[in-house]
Amino acid sequence: MFVPCGDSVPDLAGHTLLMPAVSVGNVGQLAIDLIISTLNMHKIGYFYTDCLVPMVGNNPYATAEENSTELCINAEVYSLPSKKLVALQLRSIFIKYKSKPFCEKLLSWVKSSNCAKVIVLSSSHSYHRNDLQLRSTPFRYLLTPIVPKSVQNRIQSLNWEEMEKSPCIPEIDDSEFCIRIPGGGITKTLYDEGHTERERGRDTGRGRSRLHAPGARRGIRSRVSRIAPRAKGRRQTAAPPRDPNK
Amino acid sequence: MNSGAWEEVGCAKLWNEWCRTTDTTHLSPAKSFCMFYHLKSNPSVVLCQCNCYVAEDQQYQWLEKVFGSCPKKNMQVMILTCRHVTDYKTSESTSSLHSPFLKALKTQNFKEPPCCPLLEQPNIVHDLPAAVLSYCQVWKIPAVLYLCYTDVMKLDLITVEAFRPILSSRSLKGLVKNIPQSTEILKKLMTTNEIQSNIYT
Repeated sequence: MFVPCGDSVPDLAGHTLLMPAVSVGNVGQLAIDLIISTLNMHKIGYFYTDCLVPMVGNNPYATAEENSTELCINAEVYSLPSKKLVALQLRSIFIKYKSKPFCEKLLSWVKSSNCAKVIVLSSSHSYHRNDLQLRSTPFRYLLTPIVPKSVQNRIQSLNWEEMEKSPCIPEIDDSEFCIRIPGGGITKTLYDEGHTERERGRDTGRGRSRLHAPGARRGIRSRVSRIAPRAKGRRQTAAPPRDPNK
Repeated sequence: MNSGAWEEVGCAKLWNEWCRTTDTTHLSPAKSFCMFYHLKSNPSVVLCQCNCYVAEDQQYQWLEKVFGSCPKKNMQVMILTCRHVTDYKTSESTSSLHSPFLKALKTQNFKEPPCCPLLEQPNIVHDLPAAVLSYCQVWKIPAVLYLCYTDVMKLDLITVEAFRPILSSRSLKGLVKNIPQSTEILKKLMTTNEIQSNIYT
């Protein structure tokens, strides 16, 4: 559950939620750390659950001695009101069998706080790439079905590549194809929830999706789930995608 | 506990794969559970002695059971724990580290100055001490964690003495008697334990 730092619950209606998937190389978490420290986002609360391994430490974003003594826990929420941006940082792994309950609690909170869209930063094992993927940029995106055409057009104009489907069971020649994100943690679960929400919306006549982007926004390169394949054990961070038109 | 009269008020029983003792026929609660005592002269002072490992999937429920039954108003929590010095991350040379040494972490609402330096990044704390401190931070309870980094695997006088500075803290000053004689008292307590743990006689 979300517990605010202050006395009142902040209004997150219409905000964009950025969050990492705890995934191979901790790429998403490192990216969120960079975003929080670069944009100087301030802490607005905690996402307190029994799903993550407890851990505590002092402020990793300290800029002066005064703020170096702030205690940080395993799941915290940061905000940048000027950009209507909210970031959830996860600092520890899931307790066994608790990843699905966590996704349910997270999505319940996203729904109740009326966030406009959710962007998940994730990663996947680079050794699962096929020949085509090896020859292309290591970045991919995935959109849930209920995404405005404007966002899809914007992504296409950036020449980003959509995550390809791969055999569900690689060892079987005539296996069906599906989206697989090995090493991606809860990425696939969250993505599947976006699909399920669309089905629920279709059945009940409601079109709202937790993972939809209502319009183009400048200044934020990554609007959707970006999966950066990387080799297990390597520590270098992925470089930003190059604009192929330059 | 040597300083006053303490009365047992409860225990938290749990089981996990780490709950093993060398003597399974005479399993005493004091060795396998978390025991709670209060000071007879001041029942608002409660001490929890955790003699078992609380697994990560039990910590949340442990907190709900223990803290759920306590009134949180005017509560203050102090956690004492140990880690091996090889867990300590620093850019300094290891030869400059004089273990055992004490480090602290405190919640936002804990206003007293800690008795030792704060734990620097990138060091973190796990397990039940982290769970307790997280709970206190989230629910705005003043709490401090004192972490002793030691280079021995079993309890010894030098490691225990590393906690001595906290006896002079505002919270404990009124509870602990005979601070100058504490070394002698500790020596006596340690000698008793050493005889029991000597398996080579």
